[in-house]
Amino acid sequence: MLRFLKKVTSYASDAVKAANYLTQGLAVTFDHMRRRPITIQYPYEKLIPSERYRGRIHYEFDKCIACEVCVRVCPINLPVVDWVMNKETKKKELRNYSIDFGVCIFCGNCVEYCPTNCLSMTEEYELATFDRHNLNYDNVALGRLPTNVTTDPSVKALRELAYLPQGTMDPHDVPTTQTRAGKLPTEMLELMNQSSSKNKSNESVADSAQIEEKKKQ
Amino acid sequence: MTIASSTQQICFLVLSAGIVIGSLGVVLLENIVYSAFLLGGVFMAVAGLYLLLNASFVAAAQVLVYVGAVNVLILFAIMLVNKKEDLKPIKGLQLRRLLSGGVCAGLLALLIRVDITTTWKLPGPQAIGEQATERIGEHLFTDYLLPFELASVLLLMAMIGAIVLARRDILTNDIGTGESVKPGLIEKANTPLLIDKSSP
Amino acid sequence: MTMVTYQAKNLLAQVSAGLDLEVSFSQAMKGLGFSPQLAHILWLPLPMLLVLVAALIGVLVTVWLERKISAAAQQRIGPEYAGALGILQPMADGLKLLVKEDVIPAKADSLLFTLGPVLVLVPVILSWLIVPFGQNLLISNVGIGIFLWISLSSIQPIGLLMSGYASNNKYSLLGGLRAAAQSISYEIPLALAVLAVVMMSNSLSTVDIVDQQNNAGFLSWNIWRQPVGFLIFWICALAECERLPFDLPEAEEELVAGYQTEYAGMKFALFYLGSYINLILSALLVSVLYLGGWGFPIPVELLANWLNQSIDAPIIQIITGSLGIVMTVIKAYLLVFLAILLRWTTPRVRIDQLLDLGWKFLLPISLVNLLFTAALKLVFPTFFGG
Repeated sequence: MLRFLKKVTSYASDAVKAANYLTQGLAVTFDHMRRRPITIQYPYEKLIPSERYRGRIHYEFDKCIACEVCVRVCPINLPVVDWVMNKETKKKELRNYSIDFGVCIFCGNCVEYCPTNCLSMTEEYELATFDRHNLNYDNVALGRLPTNVTTDPSVKALRELAYLPQGTMDPHDVPTTQTRAGKLPTEMLELMNQSSSKNKSNESVADSAQIEEKKKQ
Repeated sequence: MTIASSTQQICFLVLSAGIVIGSLGVVLLENIVYSAFLLGGVFMAVAGLYLLLNASFVAAAQVLVYVGAVNVLILFAIMLVNKKEDLKPIKGLQLRRLLSGGVCAGLLALLIRVDITTTWKLPGPQAIGEQATERIGEHLFTDYLLPFELASVLLLMAMIGAIVLARRDILTNDIGTGESVKPGLIEKANTPLLIDKSSP
Repeated sequence: MTMVTYQAKNLLAQVSAGLDLEVSFSQAMKGLGFSPQLAHILWLPLPMLLVLVAALIGVLVTVWLERKISAAAQQRIGPEYAGALGILQPMADGLKLLVKEDVIPAKADSLLFTLGPVLVLVPVILSWLIVPFGQNLLISNVGIGIFLWISLSSIQPIGLLMSGYASNNKYSLLGGLRAAAQSISYEIPLALAVLAVVMMSNSLSTVDIVDQQNNAGFLSWNIWRQPVGFLIFWICALAECERLPFDLPEAEEELVAGYQTEYAGMKFALFYLGSYINLILSALLVSVLYLGGWGFPIPVELLANWLNQSIDAPIIQIITGSLGIVMTVIKAYLLVFLAILLRWTTPRVRIDQLLDLGWKFLLPISLVNLLFTAALKLVFPTFFGG
C-alpha cells in the first residue's frame, strides 16, 4: 500500500514538474513575441559586413609571383595558376589565374599565406549566377572591386550586431552619431601607438632585468 | 403525404439500398481493403436508419463504436498485415460457392417468412427521442444490469486473453494446470513471433 | 431528425427567453404570405450557410493569426504585402490551391484518393451543428449534443487511413496509420473528460451545458470545477487536431508530410481546411464546455439590472445576443492563440511517448477525474449539479 502511494506521489510530482517546465517554455515563447522583428528587408536593406568578413576573394595580377603557395595551402588545390617559364629571363611569366567560387569554401588560407599579399578577402557575398560555370572567376573578374553597401544609393545600409551601440539589437533607426561598442580600429591603433611610445623605456628596463636573472641561474 | 414524410421515405430507401449493396460489396469484392471501407459505409447507413427511427443516441453510439472503433481497428489490422500473396486455387470452389449461396438463400427465405407471418404492430411504439439517453442509462443500471455486466466481463476476458496471447514471454507456467509450459512455446522478448527455435 | 430538432427548437423557443431568429424569420415570412411550412423550408439552409461561412472565415482568420503569431514568436515580420498587415494572405493561399493542378498519382487508387479528404472534412463541418453562439444561436440543439461531436470525430481516422492507403506511398500509409492510432487512443480520455462535464450538467446538450455555467459569471465556469478535465480535454483536443506536440502523422522530418504527401491542389486544401476547422471547433468546444460558452464574465442580468433595463427588452436582447457571439469567439481565439504558442514551445513527442501519454497517463487520470466528479456530485449536489 505504502509503495503504491509512493508511486502515485512520484507520478504526481513528475506531472507537476512537467507542467512547470511547460509553463517556463511558454513564458519564453511569449516573451519573444514582444520583441521587435530582426528582419532585414534584403534587397532594399543590407547589413554592412564586418571588417573581417570572408567574402569573394580579390586578386591583384601585378603583385602575383606565381609561387603557387595559394594552391598548396588550399584544402582542395582550387586556384589555377597558369604560368610559363621564360627561358631568357629565367623567370615565371604568369598568364592566367582563376578561382572557382562554386567550389571555394572561403576558408581564407590562400589569403593568409600569400607572400606578396596579392590575395585579399572582400565583403562581397552576392555571387548568384544563372550558370554555375559563371562562378569560375578569372584574373580580370577577381581583380574587380565590389560595390560598397554604404555607397550604393539604392540600398539602405544597416549596421551589423558588431557595429551597433551596446545594448541595441535592432539596426533600424539607430542614429549615425552613436558609434559601436568598444573602440574603432583607428582608435585602437592610436592607443597602441601612444602606449608603445610611452612604455618603450619601461619595457627595456624590464627586459634587462630578466636577462640578469637568467644569467644568475 | 407531407414533405417530412416523403423525405423520410426517400431517406429510408436510399439508406436501405446503401446497406444492401454495401454488404454485398463487403462479401463479394476481391480487394479486402475495399471490403473494409464498404463495411464502414454499411455501419454509417445503419446509423442513418437509427436516426430515421428517431433514436439519435443509438445512432451516435453506432457511429462511435462501429465506425470509429471496430472498423478502424479492422482497417488497421488489414493495413499492418499488408502482405500481397497469391491465393491458392481451392479445390471445388464452385461447389463451395453453391453450397454457401444455398445456405444464405435459405436464411433469407426464413427471414422473409418470419417477416410475412408476424403481425407487426403498426404504428410501432412512440419514439421517445430526446429522453432516450436517460432511459437507456436507467435500463442499463436496473433491469439490464446483469447482461450489461456479463458483456463487460466478457470483453475484459477477451482483452486479457489478447494480452496473454500477444505477450507469451511473461508466462512460464500453464495458468490452468500450473505445470511449466513447453519451452518451445515461450517467446523470448526479442525473438520474432511464431518462430519455434527448439524444434529442428 | 430535422423534424425532431424542429419540434425541440419550437419547444425551446416557447420556454426560454432570448433571441430566436427562426421565430422572427417565420413571422416575417408569414407577413409576406408564406405558409409556416414553406417558411421553415426557406429557413433551414440559412443557419447552415451562415455557419459554413463563419467556419471558413474563422479558418482564414486562424491561418492569418498562425502566420503572424508564429512570425512574432520567431522575431520575424510575417506576411505583410497581401493586404494591410497581410490579412489577405490566407485568401491568396486558398486561391493558389484552387487554381493548382489536381494531381492524382498514376499508381494511386483514384476513387479512395478522392474520397479520403472528403471523409476527413465532412465530419468536422457536420460537428459545427452543435456549437452554440447563444441561447438559440445554433443550427440544431440536438439532445445528444456533445456526444454527436465525439462520434463524428471518430469518423475522421477512416478518411485518413483511406487517403494514406490510396496514395500508394509508404510515408502516406505510415502517416495514416499513425493518425488513426493517435485518434483512437486520445478519443477515450477526451470522451471521459466530456463525461465528467456532462455528469455535472445532467445533459448532453451543449446549450444546457453552457446554461448550467452561467449562474454567477466567470465564477461558475466549469474550469474551476473541472481543472483536470480541462487540461485533459485540451491535450486530447490538440492530439485530435494533430497540432504540434502531437503532429506525428505529418512529421515532416520523418514522413515528408504523412498522409498528405501525394496531395496537391484542392484535395490538399480540403485537408488544410479540415485541420484548421477542427482546431477552431475544438477551441469553441473547450470554451463551451469549460469557459462558459457565450456567457459574459459578469452575469448579463446583473448588468441589465444595473442599467435599469429589463432583460426582455428587444435592444438588450440584441446586445446580449451579439455579446454572446463575441464572447464565444473571443474565448475560442484565446485558445487558438494558446495552441499556436504551444506549437512554437513544445517539441514533437515520439510515437511511443504519445501512446504512453494517452494510455498510461491521460486515461487513468481522466477515469480518476470522472470518479472524483461523481463522488463530489453525491457529496455537494448544489455545487456539482444535483
